[in-house]
Amino acid sequence: MGIFLSKLFSQLFGDKEARILVLGLDNAGKTTILYRLQVGEVVATIPTIGFNVETVQYNNIKFQVWDLGGQTSIRPYWRCYFPNTQAVIYVVDSSDTDRMATAKEEFHAILEEEELKDAVVLIYANKQDLPGALDDASVTEALNLHKIKNRQWAIFKTSAVKGEGLFEGLDWLSDTLKARGR
Amino acid sequence: MFSLLYGLWKYLFSKAEFHVLILGIDKAGKTTLLEKLKTLYSDFEGLPPDRIVPTVGLNIGRIEAHKSKLIFWDLGGQLGLRTIWEKYYEEAHAILYVVDAASESRLEDTKSAFEKVLRHQDLQGAPVLIFANKQDLEGAVSAKEIGTALNLKELEERESMAMAISAYDGSGIREGVTWLVDAMRTCKRTQELKQRADAAVTMNMHVIKDDTSVWRKERIKNRVW
Repeated sequence: MGIFLSKLFSQLFGDKEARILVLGLDNAGKTTILYRLQVGEVVATIPTIGFNVETVQYNNIKFQVWDLGGQTSIRPYWRCYFPNTQAVIYVVDSSDTDRMATAKEEFHAILEEEELKDAVVLIYANKQDLPGALDDASVTEALNLHKIKNRQWAIFKTSAVKGEGLFEGLDWLSDTLKARGR
Repeated sequence: MFSLLYGLWKYLFSKAEFHVLILGIDKAGKTTLLEKLKTLYSDFEGLPPDRIVPTVGLNIGRIEAHKSKLIFWDLGGQLGLRTIWEKYYEEAHAILYVVDAASESRLEDTKSAFEKVLRHQDLQGAPVLIFANKQDLEGAVSAKEIGTALNLKELEERESMAMAISAYDGSGIREGVTWLVDAMRTCKRTQELKQRADAAVTMNMHVIKDDTSVWRKERIKNRVW
C-alpha cells in the first residue's frame, strides 16, 4: 500500500524516473560512460567488481543508472538486477573485433530474459576514437541486431573518453521512454 | 502449462496479425508517419514531428485497424543503415515505401533503393504501397508522378499502389491503411507466411515439452542467490 501511494505520488508530482542497466563485456567502457554522464569528466576507473550506481538527471527524467561489472565470472549476477528495468544500455568495445562474437552471445542472452522483455534497448558502439573501430552499421551486423523484432532499439557511435554520442543516445532513450509512459 | 494453453487459445482465436515494413531513404518521413499512425489508430499520442530524430535502429508501432492487428517496423534510411533492411524481409507481409514527394534532387536515390527492395528474393509477392509524402509542402508532386518515376506499372507479380499523403497533417493515411489491409488479406504471400509460422509453432511445442526438464536443471545450476 505504501509502495503504491509513493508510486502514485511520484507519478503525479515528481520527475519521471527510470531504471537503466548498463551492461556489456569487461573493458567495454561502462564505468567511464557512467561517470562521463554523471560528472561530465573522464575519471580513472578500475575493473568493476560488483556495481556502481548513480543518478543522472536529463531531459526531465531521473535516470538511475546501474553499471554492472562485466567480467565472465560475475556476468551471472546481472540477472539479480533485471526486475523493474525500463531500459538496457549495452556497451560494446567497437575496436575489440576478437570478442565481438562473445558480445553478441551475451547480448542475445540478455534479450531472452523474461524480466527484460519490456525494456527498450540502446546500444553504444563505444571506443570510436580508437583506430580500427567498427562503425554503427558493422556493429549492427556483428551483434545481429536485426534479430530484434519485438522491441525498439537504437545504436549510437560513442566515444566515452571524448564525450561523443552519449547524450544523443540519452535523448533517444528519454523520448522513447516518455512516449511509452503516456 | 498455463502458458502453453494460453498460447493455443491465443493462436486459435486471435485476430490476423500483419507485419508491415516501412522503408524509404533518410528524411522521407518514415518515423513521422509511424507516429501519426499511432495517433490516428491507437489511444496514445505519437511523438510530435519536431521531436523526431533520425532513426538509427528500429521503431515499432502496434495498431488495430479493420479488425486486424498491424505491426509496423520502421527502419533507419541512411545509406549505411540500409543493409539491415533485408533482414526483416522474410517476415514482412507488405512494404510501405515512403517517398519525399517534395524533393526532386533525391528521387534518383529513392528509385535505386526501391528497385533493390523489389528485386529481393525474400519479398516475393509482397504488396507494395507507395506513400508520396509531404503533400503539405509546396512543390510536392502527385502520387501518379511518383508512381511513374518508380515504374510502378511494370510490377505484375504483386499488388501495388501509389497514394498521396502528408504524415505531417495526417491526410491520406487512413485510405492507405485500408488498401494495405485489403491487399494483405487477399494475397498469396500472407498464406505462405502463415503456413510457415504454423509449422514453426508445431515444432516449438515439441521442443518446449522436451526442454522443460533441461531448463529446470539449468536454472538450479545457475542459481546465483
